[in-house]
Amino acid sequence: MASAPPKLIGNPMATVEQLETSASQIDGIPKELEDSIHFAGARLTQLAGILLRLPQDIIAIAIVNYTRFWLGPEGGSLKKYGAKDISIASLYVTAKLSAYPRSPRSVINVYAYFDAHETTFEHHAPNSPNPLDPQTYFVSEGTYQARRLALMRTEALLLRTLGFTTDTALPYALAITYMQTLDAFADHAAGSALTKRVLAHLNSALFSPQKLYLTHQPAALATAAIYLAGHEREMKLAGEDWWEVFDVGREELGFLVFSLNSQNGFAEREVERWAGRKVPLTVLEVEREMGVGVGMGVGMGVGMGV
Amino acid sequence: MTGKSRWADSQEDAVAEEQRRKEKEAKKRAKLAQQKLAEERRKQHEQQEQQQGGVRDDLENRPAKRQRLSPAQNTDTAQKTDKAAEAPTKLLKFHAPSLGPCRHVDNFERLNHIEEGSYGWVSRAREIATGEVVALKKLKMDNLNDGFPVTALREIQTLKASKHPNIVDLREVVVGDGDDFSDVFLVMDFLEHDLRTLQEDMAEPFLPSETKTLLLQLASAMEFLHDHWIIHRDLKTSNILMNNRGEIKIADFGMARYFSDPPPPNLTQLVVTLWYRAPELLLGASTYDTAIDMWSVGCIFGELLTKDPLLQGKNEVDQLAKIFALAGIPNDDSWPGFRRLPNARALRLPRLPNPPKSSALIRSKFPILTNAGSALLAALLSLNPASRPTATEMLAHPYFREQPKPKSKAMFPTFPSKAGQEKRRRRATPDAPKRGEKGAFAKGRDAVDLTGLFSGRDAEAAGAGFRLKMV
Ligand SMILES: Nc1ncnc2c1ncn2[C@@H]1O[C@H](COP(=O)(O)OP(=O)(O)OP(=O)(O)O)[C@@H](O)[C@H]1O
Repeated sequence: MASAPPKLIGNPMATVEQLETSASQIDGIPKELEDSIHFAGARLTQLAGILLRLPQDIIAIAIVNYTRFWLGPEGGSLKKYGAKDISIASLYVTAKLSAYPRSPRSVINVYAYFDAHETTFEHHAPNSPNPLDPQTYFVSEGTYQARRLALMRTEALLLRTLGFTTDTALPYALAITYMQTLDAFADHAAGSALTKRVLAHLNSALFSPQKLYLTHQPAALATAAIYLAGHEREMKLAGEDWWEVFDVGREELGFLVFSLNSQNGFAEREVERWAGRKVPLTVLEVEREMGVGVGMGVGMGVGMGV
Repeated sequence: MTGKSRWADSQEDAVAEEQRRKEKEAKKRAKLAQQKLAEERRKQHEQQEQQQGGVRDDLENRPAKRQRLSPAQNTDTAQKTDKAAEAPTKLLKFHAPSLGPCRHVDNFERLNHIEEGSYGWVSRAREIATGEVVALKKLKMDNLNDGFPVTALREIQTLKASKHPNIVDLREVVVGDGDDFSDVFLVMDFLEHDLRTLQEDMAEPFLPSETKTLLLQLASAMEFLHDHWIIHRDLKTSNILMNNRGEIKIADFGMARYFSDPPPPNLTQLVVTLWYRAPELLLGASTYDTAIDMWSVGCIFGELLTKDPLLQGKNEVDQLAKIFALAGIPNDDSWPGFRRLPNARALRLPRLPNPPKSSALIRSKFPILTNAGSALLAALLSLNPASRPTATEMLAHPYFREQPKPKSKAMFPTFPSKAGQEKRRRRATPDAPKRGEKGAFAKGRDAVDLTGLFSGRDAEAAGAGFRLKMV
């Protein structure tokens, strides 16, 4: 990992008021639906980032920017802005600021590909035996121009809503440094197995409904991921209360470990809940879903052909 | 990669050896990591101190600050685990600014225009709610083809990451009307002067003790930036602001960007205002590093001594000629590999039996400078970027410890503010290069002949000691 060195030590954090309520909830979107949409949008950002061959730390920053957009009463509301548009803009502007800029055209094409799927959580891998018919995700020149213009607008909106805070200190490299300090690589095989788990936890924390990257500093996230991974792999890590070396208190650690540990369950429930359907990622889709929701109860898993 | 046979029973020794090697390596890595961690924590401490306004006088305390790097302190983190039981551990918390949308520019009232630059305009303004006076810089939004201009984004991002007493404080970013492509403004601390305008109005240059104080602050800012992987790429006296308390702050991050190790390829050479531009840039290097900023620091050092810009080239070729006349002519020993730079091929350099040494050239140009002073200036103006000192090395230079000592900031004279009342006079300094501009060394150009560079020297034709000719 020779690439980007750590530039920032800490991130601005969400306040209690910002976490209490959101613009979407004020606009009448049920919290449960909001969580579903945020999760699906963050996941879409991750998948699109992979197809665009962006390094994971760039994708992670894009997801944090996406998450920050919806934060608090002054953030964006799902009544006004589609999660998909914010995801595109976030990935585009984050890549632009990195050493791996991507053209508007490639970003738009990649999102068109995911759009062509009939359900959110079941995918045709691009190289699978029965791939999607290319006709379904073809972007005509006219469509491209319109989407490009929309992307530029959304980018400006995103930047304003973020107050131009577009950079994020990430816990990945920090976690590796911590593990070295803890002598976790004394046994090399065990060390790399541990690393895998740690990185997996840090990745899935990006999708957490508790917005962990907006509420905890990288040091705390790294420490909690190491603690949980060490626990899972029954690995003894140096010293009692070792997390204090990294300036993380027992209480914060406890909360984070619990949240990280429940992340898998949350993701599984989401996939189940939206099986065979699309999570509404545009303003129109949200309106339709709300129409359905009022009558039939949101999240009943009713397969509506809307 | 490792063949299976290596692990066969007959090779037990090799296995054991490999094991030992691995253990040793792991230990070494852990130790390094620990040191790095301690170092990061030290910096975090320092940064917090700076942010909390507890900035002590940098000059008096610098040696003490440095001592904290001593090895005994480095193991701090490692030992802390054992000590944890003895005393309740105090945990470090990072206090960062909050998240939230941009405010509207209407929260400020514009007082007067200060300056129109190449990237926008700057004016003095007052925040209506608090009455505080700030500087507002409106960003130029050209080239919207790829959306929000990446240069403007970088300016904001690097400035946001640069919280340091000698870097202008970006308080917030505010916006004008309109949903999407509205105006964007940087809200910064207002400073009364910039070093260029100030020097133009001074009868005499800064005193040697004052020059040291200014250079220490400049180097301290550069150390911070380079430690945080930021190259400024447009250092010059008009981008160095000064208040009436003897403090300077670096401004204008319009060209700044993050770098990496190894440096990113294909960087643009169209950076840094001509008079402050390093020779490797003039020769067309497309990978370069923080040393280009240190070259500019050298130019600023020279300027502070005489209050006139040091190397006032009329164009890129002339700039290079002036550089060689002051810093000597490069050769394969002093700057290995310089001949491979794109524009070096077109260059014809004089072959002298005894080429003048840069230190001698610099000493004769600045007779007032002590040995240590001219050694530092000559080092900063090394043609070979690898020979220039880093900002950290500069701060430790003997020049700052010999008499006269750096003047305390509190003892600095105050100057009447230009920015306070009227528009600053448009300076004679050339502008930073604009995107899309073409260099003088266009491809396929005829050779550039600098062979006459020191020909007039024997006759002591000081000043006009060379002739420049394009063939
Ligand atoms: N915070 C500030 N307080 C007072 N004056 C300032 C401040 N920031 C900038 N200025 C003044 O405005 C001038 C231009 O600012 P700046 O260099 O940031 O803009 P620019 O458009 O990038 O200019 P250029 O690239 O031509 O140097 C500075 O030389 C300085 O005189």
